[in-house]
Amino acid sequence: MSTTTITVTINGEVFEETVPVRMLLVDFIRERAALTGTHIGCTYEGVCGACTVQIDGEAVKSCLMVAAQADGHEITTVEGLAQGGELSPLQRAFNEQHALQCGYCTPGILMNMDEFLRENPDPTDDEIRHGLVGNLCRCTGYAHIVDAVRQAAKETR
Amino acid sequence: MTGTSEGWVGSHFHRKEDHRLITGKGRFLADIARPAALHIVFKRSDHAHATIESVDVSAAKAMAGVVAVVTGDDIKDEILPMPQPVVQPALPATYPKHWPLAVGKVKWHGEPVAAVIARDPYVAADAAEAIEVDYDPLPYVGDAESALADGATIVHEDWPDNIIFQMDFTGGADEESQRAHEAKVQEVFDSADIVIKQRFTCHRCGVAPMETRGALFEWDESDGLTGWLTTQRPHIDRLALSDILEIPAEKIRIIAPRDQGGGFGVKAPFYREPMLIAYMAKKLGRPVRWIETRQEHLMAVSQERDQIHDLEVAAASDGKLLAIRDRGLADCGDGCEGVYWGFLMPFLGAVELPNAYDWPIGDIKVKVAITNKSALSPARAFGEFPTRFAMERAIDMVAKRCGMEPADVRRKNLVATLPHMSITNEYFDSGDFIKVWDNLMAEADLPGFRASQAEARAEGRYLGIGFGLGVELSGVASELFVPMENQPGYGAATVRLDPRGKVLVFEGDAPGGQGHETTVAQAVAHSFGIHPNDVVVTTGDTGTTPFGSGTVGARAGSYFVSAAVQACEFLKEKIARIMAHDLALAEASPADFSFADGFVTYQKDANIKKTFREAVERVIMAPINLPEGESGGLEHTAFFEAEKPMIAFNADVCTVEVDIETGQFKILSWTTSEDVGQIINPQIVEGQMQGAIVQGLSNTMFEEFVYDENGQQLTADFENYKLATAADVPDIKVTHAPTPCPYTPLGSRGIGEGRPSDVPGTLCNAICDALGPFGIEITDLPLRPDSLWRKIQAARGAS
Amino acid sequence: MYPAPIDEYVRPATVADALAALGRYDEGDAVFVAGGQSLMQAVKARLVRPRCLIDLQAVDGLSGIDVGADGVRIGPMTRYAEIARDERLTGACAALRDAAQRVGDRQVRNRGTIGGSLCWNYVAACMPPTAIGLGAELELTAADGGTRTLAAEDFIGGPLETAREENEILTAITIPAAKGSAGSAYKKWGLVTDALPVIGVCVALEAADGRCTSARVAVGGLANGPTRSGAAEEALVGVDAGDGDGIAAALAKAAGEIETQEDLWADSDYRKQLIRSLGAEVTATAFARAAG
Repeated sequence: MSTTTITVTINGEVFEETVPVRMLLVDFIRERAALTGTHIGCTYEGVCGACTVQIDGEAVKSCLMVAAQADGHEITTVEGLAQGGELSPLQRAFNEQHALQCGYCTPGILMNMDEFLRENPDPTDDEIRHGLVGNLCRCTGYAHIVDAVRQAAKETR
Repeated sequence: MTGTSEGWVGSHFHRKEDHRLITGKGRFLADIARPAALHIVFKRSDHAHATIESVDVSAAKAMAGVVAVVTGDDIKDEILPMPQPVVQPALPATYPKHWPLAVGKVKWHGEPVAAVIARDPYVAADAAEAIEVDYDPLPYVGDAESALADGATIVHEDWPDNIIFQMDFTGGADEESQRAHEAKVQEVFDSADIVIKQRFTCHRCGVAPMETRGALFEWDESDGLTGWLTTQRPHIDRLALSDILEIPAEKIRIIAPRDQGGGFGVKAPFYREPMLIAYMAKKLGRPVRWIETRQEHLMAVSQERDQIHDLEVAAASDGKLLAIRDRGLADCGDGCEGVYWGFLMPFLGAVELPNAYDWPIGDIKVKVAITNKSALSPARAFGEFPTRFAMERAIDMVAKRCGMEPADVRRKNLVATLPHMSITNEYFDSGDFIKVWDNLMAEADLPGFRASQAEARAEGRYLGIGFGLGVELSGVASELFVPMENQPGYGAATVRLDPRGKVLVFEGDAPGGQGHETTVAQAVAHSFGIHPNDVVVTTGDTGTTPFGSGTVGARAGSYFVSAAVQACEFLKEKIARIMAHDLALAEASPADFSFADGFVTYQKDANIKKTFREAVERVIMAPINLPEGESGGLEHTAFFEAEKPMIAFNADVCTVEVDIETGQFKILSWTTSEDVGQIINPQIVEGQMQGAIVQGLSNTMFEEFVYDENGQQLTADFENYKLATAADVPDIKVTHAPTPCPYTPLGSRGIGEGRPSDVPGTLCNAICDALGPFGIEITDLPLRPDSLWRKIQAARGAS
Repeated sequence: MYPAPIDEYVRPATVADALAALGRYDEGDAVFVAGGQSLMQAVKARLVRPRCLIDLQAVDGLSGIDVGADGVRIGPMTRYAEIARDERLTGACAALRDAAQRVGDRQVRNRGTIGGSLCWNYVAACMPPTAIGLGAELELTAADGGTRTLAAEDFIGGPLETAREENEILTAITIPAAKGSAGSAYKKWGLVTDALPVIGVCVALEAADGRCTSARVAVGGLANGPTRSGAAEEALVGVDAGDGDGIAAALAKAAGEIETQEDLWADSDYRKQLIRSLGAEVTATAFARAAG
């Protein structure tokens, strides 16, 4: 099996690993880095967004890349959101607004909305909903997620 | 975080589950690692109906990293076939024999034919691709009507026809009484002012949770079989596996992961795949792991609601409902699915067809047909999504014929006094439907809406308002559950007090996001007068939890929580008895002690008190000088069974605007009115309602499983099986008009399971109201802009 | 779903190196990966089984937007997100932003590229009809260093087909500057928000005193690939900005002459209706933008 050696920084920790060329980034994160907060919901289409991580600060779907494409880049996963044991305002808002039920889609949503709020610190509800299009949630009906993102925006501004 | 020891029930307590889930520390099935676990990948049928001529596994077996390849022929003498009693309803039906892998022929596109077990999942996928199956295609039976037609191809070859189940719900058991009853109903129709006769169809769609199914089994000669399984009913899975694999039940432990990515019904059946994985783990003596792909999921499961109803309603000209007649027909798929067999959903849908209306009489029958599709699998609003769509639409059609507001026809016909027995023998225990309805109408401002509707119409804009309502099961009582699924309905909870004053609760059901850990912690904290953070909840492990039939039918708020509260009350009495003894308070009874704010207090003299921890530690750690007949230790398992089957009730209103040029529409508002009894956690209740309604909307507007003329499933991915995004749905306003349930200790009702059921009717009623000038009636789902546009075009062309 | 085995991953730094890597493999065995948002779906479904992935992320000079007097030049590796937020893309080029802002979702826009979309040319895609509608010109560079420029409509063929030769790479997309006051717009419809287009319509027009002097109308979401409607373009000339009937009549011509198909989302007639309704809406927007 053809392999390649890559160096990837995940949540500040450097991983130098030899991986099969075809290994998907999401599998690298889950299996090699053992960071299982990043989830797989649609398996191959890149539609559900549960596998969303940030690469160099931008939210992307880690199932639509092979790990080799991340060589030399910095990745942040949901495990990297809380700093020094302190939840980010967005994470706290998700708890306070009951923005998650099963929690399977939640890491992807957090990683997308974390970047979204940096780009748009004062979003309207419609903008939040539009920003969430790449993350499917089957439990909440989205209303509480919108509430949580709005709360985090307000607290962060 | 508000609430005190007096007020944990009903308080806004932020969920205990969340911290791990928002920091990436949740433990879902795919996150559980066992050393050297092997990976299984299924080879699935490319055909809807075909004889298997040969399966060539040689290339797959030869691949480096492949441990085993298995076909139906390999296992048919090793595993007992389904059905087995524990997963077979006590209803008279024909139960198809099947094994985990197809034997002889395939009956739907996607049926498992073979499986590869390899050290690496990528290699397992390569090997599965290398298996060559030679098929000889057979005629495709593609829908319920053609399955029942004369000369139809028989799907299960040893059957006389394609009928798996049929039932008369209203006419009694024998032919003679049924004919007499039919005649009686006909008399009502013959003399009624108004008769509505309409066929309603509902498409195949379902729940599709974000986490697919999965399993991880390992075998150990001394401990036996341990399986981690995405499941709503681990205790039933354990018994079923014991039967199929002929392993003594005490040698099987099933663990539903603490975190499950949604279930909504689809993780409740006993499916084929875990049977094979368990068998292979035992045979190989190595852990075997399966994570279902989304494509597999959408091919094999999450398909429900595929029903046709020929519905007739007789009414008086003043809107009074007089009689109902329905002939239901469901497309069950191949029916090979433990517990449900594809027909329990249409069965319950028929039971719930009358809804909350006070029907004097009815004639309701249902037939369920086998076809070459995957078996219907349960989906929240179990069976009743199609029947409620039909009913709520029919009510609006009656209103139109009477020249009345649909809202007025509903209120006029609501069951006004409870308890009530429906014409299909569904018992409505308690509540106040009129109060819930009037609360909704206060929110709706119908006169105000009619004024703005008229204004908009003058400008060429089409606004509409729609109503719907629903009675939902609040748990499933044994008196329904035993005949229906051969399982007990009671809720079970073990409450174990820790010497340090903490409380451990054990639940045999297996939640998937409903917030059981928080809800029961609040109820237990309320009971003991401690903080919910001092309550730790374990769910879904058959090795440690009491027997429970599973997380189904809105059982948590009704049955499970009630069992936990009963167990708490039992333990409180014991603590109080011993405390009275210790304090030598001869005249004190357990009722004289209060549990609040972390203390156990003698209410007749508040100076006499112990901390909860002291009181508990005394009984557990120092069991000396006890009252006569008393022993130490504080643990109790309670099995809660309500005196009566219980229900919850809700009503909805929505407003829409339709663009008549394109058939596209926008939902402007959605408001609900709920009776969930005593609320335990308001945020969780609101979240359940919002989520359920959006699932209902997504089912109604976007989701549809489509099979082509050869039975090829065209929608096995999210690009084609479309789910609602955040930008597609409105905010949902949830309001309450509660009546506490008299049969549960807290007055709570179970919620959430049936909640999507009135959504399609409510939405379609609003659309039809908006399009009133065109006289359009929506009778088929899904509701899509293109079909609406065609209806509008036709109506405009005709006018 | 996992990709079939892949032998090699390369990340060239120059166009020449990228083309050289391609040349080492038989036709079809090596593929360029731009953003990979469509390609990787196909690779994971094993519909595409490359032996080599040539990742273009580090190739110098393929990314960025230059707005000059001659027009706009966009590097093919420019991501949708960059196009979506570039406020210089107004008037004649505004349709590009319309399209980019509604491709897929935030995550896809962060990674997907305009060049990748044009070279993949999926049946339901926004960039191909937009490029055709705007009269974009595509610069292709060959392994020998030679370049050629094709009009978007000559480059883009039926679904998944383009005029790119195996030894070529797309190196620039240019949209020539408009002569007078010009405006463009793009809009699509899909069953859910920002879904792949069932129909997408791009209209670009030039106007003098609020009257259309020339127009381009391109439609995507078609089984035969994106196409222009000559009849609609002709009919729009002379139509005034506020002339709803004139606009509707022009788009009716587009609906009349364009062949539409049936699929899960719409039948042929509804697709024609979408051409009419979306077309009228984007024409009105294009007029407004032309007026500044």
